[in-house]
Amino acid sequence: MDLNAVVVSGLRKVYGSVKAVDNLDLRVESGQVFGMLGPNGAGKTTTVEILVGLRSRDAGEVSIMGLDPAKQAREVKSRIGVQLQTHGLYPRLTVRELVCLFASFYKNPLPPDEVIERVGLTAKARTIVKALSGGQVQRLAVALAMVNDAELVFLDEPTTGLDPQARRGLWDVIRHMREQGKTVFLTTHYMEEAERLCDTVAIVDHGKIIAQGPPSSLIIEHFQEQAVEFSNFMAADRERLELLPGVTRTRFDGDRATLYTRDIPRTIAGLMELAEGNGVTIGDVTVRRSTLEDVFLKLTGRRIREE
Amino acid sequence: MMNAFRELFMASFKDMVRERMNLFWFLGFPILFIFLFGTIFSSGGNVKYDVGLAYDSEGPLVHEISAGLGAVPAFTLHTGTLDEELAMLKKGKRRLVVEVPSISLPSIGSPQSIRSLQSTGFLQSGEVGGPIKISVYYDQSHQITSQVLLPVARQVLDEVERRITGRPRVFEVVAEPVQRAKLSDIDFLLPGILAMALMQLGLFGSLRVVSLREQKILKSLGATPLPRGWLIGAEVAIRILMAMVQACAIIAIGQAVFNVNIIGSWFSILGSVFLGAVTFVSMGYMLVSFARTEESGQGIIQLVQFPMMFLSGIFFSVEIMPSFLRPVVTAMPLTYLGDLLRQVMVGAPPIYSISTDLLVLCSWTIVTLVLAARLWKWE
Repeated sequence: MDLNAVVVSGLRKVYGSVKAVDNLDLRVESGQVFGMLGPNGAGKTTTVEILVGLRSRDAGEVSIMGLDPAKQAREVKSRIGVQLQTHGLYPRLTVRELVCLFASFYKNPLPPDEVIERVGLTAKARTIVKALSGGQVQRLAVALAMVNDAELVFLDEPTTGLDPQARRGLWDVIRHMREQGKTVFLTTHYMEEAERLCDTVAIVDHGKIIAQGPPSSLIIEHFQEQAVEFSNFMAADRERLELLPGVTRTRFDGDRATLYTRDIPRTIAGLMELAEGNGVTIGDVTVRRSTLEDVFLKLTGRRIREE
Repeated sequence: MMNAFRELFMASFKDMVRERMNLFWFLGFPILFIFLFGTIFSSGGNVKYDVGLAYDSEGPLVHEISAGLGAVPAFTLHTGTLDEELAMLKKGKRRLVVEVPSISLPSIGSPQSIRSLQSTGFLQSGEVGGPIKISVYYDQSHQITSQVLLPVARQVLDEVERRITGRPRVFEVVAEPVQRAKLSDIDFLLPGILAMALMQLGLFGSLRVVSLREQKILKSLGATPLPRGWLIGAEVAIRILMAMVQACAIIAIGQAVFNVNIIGSWFSILGSVFLGAVTFVSMGYMLVSFARTEESGQGIIQLVQFPMMFLSGIFFSVEIMPSFLRPVVTAMPLTYLGDLLRQVMVGAPPIYSISTDLLVLCSWTIVTLVLAARLWKWE
């Protein structure tokens, strides 16, 4: 079997003057959970739709388990599972009827009840789609991607719109897939999700991959520092904050300041001294390690979700 | 894989019939139509016209005319004074009022006396030498009265005169029906209603694929190995099944409730229904291919189905259409489907030959199907 479930090189897709996907390269090893991470409009969905054979590409090479989805679309579709970001399901069919319907499209489907159980919808098996909550529909869509028992599963923003509990439930489902040796190609704009769930992360922005690797090494590669965050600093102190011992970079965001440092104890000691000297009480201090969010911020100058 | 088609068919069918409004449009609406038209037109057979007979005093002439008018099945006879009856006419309670003049000859009443009357020349010339004037009053605004009822009244009076004068009959009219089956209005209308139902099912039913596309259901199914054409294929199969069910329901109600005499074989009737369903489903798919949304599709279809419903001759005779509309009428597939169904269902006299009907419907199917396949966009 091929070591790489997905290989993409030089992929391009243009809509009018917009480069939705711009010279994209990526490689997904079999058995991995691969996360494509980026803000809305970064080209994640377009990429997924090209990979699963729903959309044509303008340039580049794509191999899905050795097959080209542009030429062997049906063969590709029969060997993968897909959950699209904008999916549509017959509104007046029940959960079970839909899983059975999708099961009938594949050669060796999983038993429908088992799949329903896996996504925690057993109690809703006889409920029609229209009567489900947004999160339940999302889980049903993931169930439909699982029913083929495929080696490679595409999940396009599976946890968007889910409450934290349902999101964790879905993470368990995805971890279970990995334990079974399946490859999962996942897109998300949740940093935390990518960090916790993915073996490899590709950060995309404007149709390009700007960093790729395991989350921990991406963070270490871009940040050896930890971050100290606090609020209620004085604008005039900015320059002095930058000169505190150990601080490599600073970031100011409204009322809130972030200091990236290689030496937490000395930075904090210096910060306290500075605050005391100025007669300012700084509040809400948190010390954390750097995250993918920080990486994204450093690479693009923007937060990933600009709310 | 055949299993997948069956599952898809069942899934889409369930999804559709679980929406009550869909069921109404597909079964309830045509049935409502039959009952509406059926009750209006089947009562047409025993319509009664109120006729007033006005006279001052009874006499043999009054008896004769009263008996003559009373023998007409469509007349309900009322008697009274002229003033009373004219008042009723003005109120719209009478269609005709026949005024019998007083003839103060107590002797008429027996055949002999009539013959004696005749020999004195009384009935020919009247008291003042002319024929007896029998006035028939009617309301000019009722066309049917002047066109139909007056000649009937005249004929009745002629007959009375012939009997009184003993003049022999030269001609006798013997009614000999020549149609295979007696056709009433509802017999003509039922195939028309069926044709209309098939048109609506085909045209409006095709909106569903637009709605499936709008709801991203086509897209989601497109990510499975299912051949894309099957998605449309399953919808077409559902429409055709529904057409058959609808046809059976309409025919059964027509037969059971309104005594429509169906003379065609099931094979030829359901064959015609099948062809009609296929024609309008294809036409519907062609029309919705121009639409981006379900709403705009609805508009396009309204624009086509509404004139077709009224101009195709399924409810009104093609003869009464103004001549500039004729080319439109003769181009409409519904005209031919209506004609075909009338012929095969109730044996109505043909407007076109059956082979013309079949040819036109097949041509429409092929042309619209090719256009639909070219114009349809999956996204």
